[in-house]
Amino acid sequence: MADASWLSAFPAMDRSDLLAIRKSLDGGYRAFSRTYGDVIESIFDPLLQFLVWFERLLLDTPWWLVLICVVGLVYLVSRSWKLTVGVMVAFMLIGYFGMWENTMRTMSIITVCTLLSIALGIPIGIVMARSDRTQTIVTPILDVMQTMPAFVYLIPVVMLLGIGKVPGVIAVVIYAIAPVIRLTNLGIRLVDKEVLEAAAAYGATPSQRLWGVQLPLAMPTIMAGINQTIMMALAMVVIASMIGVKGLGQPVLKSITNQYFTMGLFNGLAIVALAIMFDRVSQAYARRTQKHMKGGNDA
Amino acid sequence: MFYAVRYIGLLFVFSILSILAAPVQAADACGKVTIADMNWSSATLIANIDHFILKNGYGCDAEIVPGDTMPTGTSMIEKGEPDIAPELWSNSLKAAIDKGIAEKRLRVAGKSLTDGGEEGFWVPKYLVDKDPSLATIAGVKANAKMFKNPEDPNRSAFMGCPAGWNCQISAGNLYKALNLKAAGFDLIDPGSGAGLSGAIAKAYERKEPWFGYYWAPTAVLGKYKMVKVDFGSGVSKEEFINCTSNADCENPKVTMYPPSTVETLTTESFAARAPEAFAYLSKRGFKNAQMNDLLAWMEDNQADGDIAMEHFLKNYESTWTPWVSAEVAAKIKKALASL
Repeated sequence: MADASWLSAFPAMDRSDLLAIRKSLDGGYRAFSRTYGDVIESIFDPLLQFLVWFERLLLDTPWWLVLICVVGLVYLVSRSWKLTVGVMVAFMLIGYFGMWENTMRTMSIITVCTLLSIALGIPIGIVMARSDRTQTIVTPILDVMQTMPAFVYLIPVVMLLGIGKVPGVIAVVIYAIAPVIRLTNLGIRLVDKEVLEAAAAYGATPSQRLWGVQLPLAMPTIMAGINQTIMMALAMVVIASMIGVKGLGQPVLKSITNQYFTMGLFNGLAIVALAIMFDRVSQAYARRTQKHMKGGNDA
Repeated sequence: MFYAVRYIGLLFVFSILSILAAPVQAADACGKVTIADMNWSSATLIANIDHFILKNGYGCDAEIVPGDTMPTGTSMIEKGEPDIAPELWSNSLKAAIDKGIAEKRLRVAGKSLTDGGEEGFWVPKYLVDKDPSLATIAGVKANAKMFKNPEDPNRSAFMGCPAGWNCQISAGNLYKALNLKAAGFDLIDPGSGAGLSGAIAKAYERKEPWFGYYWAPTAVLGKYKMVKVDFGSGVSKEEFINCTSNADCENPKVTMYPPSTVETLTTESFAARAPEAFAYLSKRGFKNAQMNDLLAWMEDNQADGDIAMEHFLKNYESTWTPWVSAEVAAKIKKALASL
């Protein structure tokens, strides 16, 4: 095309070149999954076993025992009767409306996802806070993870690991880990320089400064990050169920397919109830630990 | 209805589209026509072919809009938009469509897949090559151990149909009727069409055993050669309609899937204002073998609908010229030459 068509149409790459790129990348990925798929799958096997075990635990334990454990945990963590009673009522309603099993499944996978996000996210956040170079590298990666439509990486992950829990957990963690990393980084960076200098003057080693000064002072911000992570993990429940993760997402999918609005609403509300529960409990916990800390600082 | 809605958002898109498009109804000829582009390859291809032929052959102001079985069907019945659903697997919506036809809102133009859609339980061809008994359900049950369930080592996996699709009901009933549970199979929900095809691709690339529900013509079955498992029961259409495809079928019996009706559906207003274009739609239909070829070509070349449309119109002239008059065919060829 030697004419001046580039003035009216963008001089795009030739269709056959583009096709060659697309085909070779796809082919490369297929070859990769054929060669390394089994190895990668076996690496994730312990995680799968744990997920299966945890779900079975929540499902096989009698409902009242689970309820007692959850409510007890909520009270221990929050020390608030109002919240505890609220959680109990929410769970009773969920069970009464026949969503107990799915709620347990969702709770098990969300708990694992949250713990995994925290276990991976906080160390990454700490490293990021200590090195500006790491920060400039990690920030754009986090942007990609948060905005890339989930299906773009879900289906390649399915080709690698099959459908089910593990790809679901990977998808949820990719999406939900960003806030805890960002806010850990921010929280540590916001700690007063003077406080750090004072700690150094008392002869604190870098690790003592990290564990004794930076992390405690950054705690409120980190807790806010964990909070956001929990919320985002729950928001991904429906997407995860699109690759065969059982739980509250599946009835939601089923109801939007068949336009069963009430069924969708009930299961959606159960997800909301779980989210509010996780949120209020973690916030109450954060407030309590903060209170202790404040007392300590003032003295 | 296994081509089911995945995004309710589309519904909203349609309602907005219908508000926008309502006032533009040209009185003469064909006017503005919206064609639903379903999100699977064969329907996309047909939508693009219709788009090109209606635009260049019949002077319609044709436009392709995104669609899916449920939202498109519902929107056509309720809002009269979009005008054409080129490949509708109508079993899922049968009652609603019949009502729409009776109320003179919809009209069936013809069959877009003349053989009808083919559903069934499939195993990869490489398994059958090794052990021909796997082409029958007895063989699959006898070898249940090889179809491992990753989440429970003691059980086998039968991949069913995604949650909410109509085939979930039929596959579930057949799972019961065939006693697959007793044979060790768990019914696994793949969650979505993409999950299901991803699972097939994963098994196929690694030559692993796989057993589950799928349908043709599809790019997946064009690309990954699979064998339909014979239930040894033949097709009992009556049993299928009365029981297998019903959610409250208490005592399902074994039957193979009868072919599904795959139709071109239009709104009554389009059929009335553009009888010639409607006549084209009533003649336009594909054989499954030909569609499988086209889909495999699309898959091999990663072609999207409009590239595949060009490929089809240029290379399969003898197929499409009988669908239109000689005069229209000449117009289309002229437009094709200037592509």
